[in-house]
Amino acid sequence: MRIPKTASSVILLTVLAAAYPAQAQQTVNPAGAAALEFHKRIEAYVAIHNAAEAKVPALGSTSDPAKIHDREVALGRQIQALRANAKPGDVFAPEEQPYLVKIVRADFATRSAAARKALVQELPKNLKIEINMVYPTSLPLETFPGRLLRLLPDLPPELEYRIVGHHLLLRDVTANLIVDIIRDVVPTIPS
Amino acid sequence: MRVRLTHLAALFLALAVVTHAANEVRPPVGKDSVRFAVIGDSGTGDKAQYEVATQLADSIQVFPFEFVIMLGDNIYGSERPQDFQKKFEIPYKTLLDLKVLFYAALGNHDDPNQRFYKPFNMGGQRFYSFQRKDTRFFVLDSNYMDKDQQAWLEKELANSTSKWKIAYFHHPLYSSGATHGSEVDLRTIVEPLFIKYGVSLVFAGHEHFYERIKPQKGIAYFTSGGAAKLRDGDILKTGLTAKGFDTEQSFMLVELDGDVMHFQTLSRRGAVVDSGDVHRVIPEGSQ
Repeated sequence: MRIPKTASSVILLTVLAAAYPAQAQQTVNPAGAAALEFHKRIEAYVAIHNAAEAKVPALGSTSDPAKIHDREVALGRQIQALRANAKPGDVFAPEEQPYLVKIVRADFATRSAAARKALVQELPKNLKIEINMVYPTSLPLETFPGRLLRLLPDLPPELEYRIVGHHLLLRDVTANLIVDIIRDVVPTIPS
Repeated sequence: MRVRLTHLAALFLALAVVTHAANEVRPPVGKDSVRFAVIGDSGTGDKAQYEVATQLADSIQVFPFEFVIMLGDNIYGSERPQDFQKKFEIPYKTLLDLKVLFYAALGNHDDPNQRFYKPFNMGGQRFYSFQRKDTRFFVLDSNYMDKDQQAWLEKELANSTSKWKIAYFHHPLYSSGATHGSEVDLRTIVEPLFIKYGVSLVFAGHEHFYERIKPQKGIAYFTSGGAAKLRDGDILKTGLTAKGFDTEQSFMLVELDGDVMHFQTLSRRGAVVDSGDVHRVIPEGSQ
């Protein structure tokens, strides 16, 4: 597993905290602690993903699309079973959510109404999404704005951010599952 | 009666010509050139895709191309095994039988797991590069331009000593499309790299028409997203357009011959709707 770049700062914080416990208690800022918690939860999710992956056939390049399709479905089912009780905030740590919301809203504030609309126009309005649900396979994936992606914490290759309607979600890339959702993050587009 | 029959035969012939018009493709210029076809937004499985595919199959007889680059939206809608047949394997069977290779980029309608589908030659990667003679192709996933992809792109471009550097991906950096328009966000990230490392040519899809953009900062941009879908009349007057074609489906044929790229854009009915030459960007300090 590749370690996200945020991990280096998290590790540094942890080492400092171990070396100077009393000082670290005083100096670790809330944003750092929130980032640390988010990172831990991402790692916990990746552990689940890996456990599920160990139970399905490995996938390399194949000329048989059935193998790709069946593997995606099987991996999704394994993860759904392992996270049967998944709930909002399991990965999007509650302490991290205000920072993520702030980043997204600040970014959208810089975009014109037309640019905002372009980011959400390909999906049906009022599309219902739930945690642990398969991302609708017949629908497109809205393009995630590259500049915003630069501002958000890095994710491991198993996960990606997506925007659906007003919601920010985490999607498992190979299982095509919705892993977690922060609702009503993206501001309403002025008409 | 005889006259009537003749008229009837003429009518049938005329109808046949309308549905499968003669292909106007011109043969390649160079003997040892790199030749490829360009299709975008192709995977509908409908009649239009099949008719464009027929034109590709006709074109290869006159303009022998070795591979096809796919600009994303390779499979629309559901991606069950039968969809790969209906929306890729059957329409392009003639080309696949001729061992023509396809190199796909991911569009917003594509499941990223398409990267494991061997006929798309993605090697299991969302973004990748490949080489043909003195040309390097950089295939990006413009749906999700994360830091890893940016770092990869810069490293690949910096390490490439190829004469031609060509990038392709789904979302156009410049577009006159009323439906989508220019992907400015992506442009701010990748265009500086293209300029810095001497990318000469960029192909994109997403807009369901053909547009040749006036050169931007020394780079030639083409949008070719009408190999099945069509947004009739979607090109706005923006000042970006060198040539636009939005009344019929289309595809491109490209030849890299020395420092010149020759291109032809053909319609669903085989008419050449645009053609011309692009000269390679020669970075300062090199020959």
